[in-house]
Amino acid sequence: MLVALQWAALVAINRLGYAVAEAVRLPLPGNLVGMLLLLALLSAGVVPASWLRPGAPFLTRHLAFFFIPITVGIMRFGALFARSGVAIVVVLVVSAAVGVCASGFTSQALGRPRRQVEVPT
Amino acid sequence: MKSLATAFGIAVTLGAYVLSRVVAKRYRSPLTTPVFFSTPIVICALLLSGFTVEHYQPAKDVMVFLLGPATVALAVPLHESRRALLNDLVAAVAGLTAGSLSTLVVAILLAKAFALPAVVRASIALKSVTAPIAVELAPVVRGDPTLVAAFVITTGMIGAMFGPGLMDRAGIRSPLARGLALGTISHGQGTAQAVGEGALQGAAAGIAMGLAAVLTSLVAPVIVPLLL
Repeated sequence: MLVALQWAALVAINRLGYAVAEAVRLPLPGNLVGMLLLLALLSAGVVPASWLRPGAPFLTRHLAFFFIPITVGIMRFGALFARSGVAIVVVLVVSAAVGVCASGFTSQALGRPRRQVEVPT
Repeated sequence: MKSLATAFGIAVTLGAYVLSRVVAKRYRSPLTTPVFFSTPIVICALLLSGFTVEHYQPAKDVMVFLLGPATVALAVPLHESRRALLNDLVAAVAGLTAGSLSTLVVAILLAKAFALPAVVRASIALKSVTAPIAVELAPVVRGDPTLVAAFVITTGMIGAMFGPGLMDRAGIRSPLARGLALGTISHGQGTAQAVGEGALQGAAAGIAMGLAAVLTSLVAPVIVPLLL
């Protein structure tokens, strides 16, 4: 019952996010606007995080479930992967490596130098 | 008949998901992450029973209903880890900006060099955005939500598998920087990996995942058409 209420609240905030994005013509997805709205409510102390437990953590813990039905759609793209699968993997690996290094070096160079971890060798 | 097909689609998907969680508990590896492990099982089950993507659609619509609310719920862990960001705001924002932009540009340009179709190039640009937001962003840049989801999940695995080793070799040792890089590039799966490294890494990764999604949502509709 409690979980159903918490989910209903999250559904409402999600709908509100889409409505706001539409009304203000924000270039952001509605669910992201909903997330930012909830973040603002939590940060302002209007909504304590405890009101959303355990319904919210349950959904985020099982977030991966929702992507199974979406990726099942790659059934339609068999020919593409047979033809260009290797090129796609190369693009994904190289761009990920560049991004990890760019992000890591930038924040390490600008961050406070005192914190270091020993990297196991 | 149609409701029976819907029930079958949901049952197969739920079953494959539960199986992946059980297997992942015994063998923790990027190969046992739920989406990578379960999707082939569901596809095989559908093919064997003569289902097409169209037959599966009603079941899919039911299951993804809670995806939006689940995305909203991400605000709770984000709120709880905000301190890690505020302590080192400039470094964090600069790092996740550099990571998000460079990975997006390199992905599109490389895809172009390989002469991949336009819908693939647009979709691959979003591969470092956390899946619930990337799927919504796909139509905005003329990508395909399914391709985006597949690329996002593969990128999550790549970063979680090779990211820490790459940073060891490159001399990236600051916990904040390591967490940020993993969250920025490999979103949820990178965050899970960062949590394993330490609390600060995990918090930084969670925040980076959220902010990188906001940043990419703002810049992708402008940059992607220019580079396509």
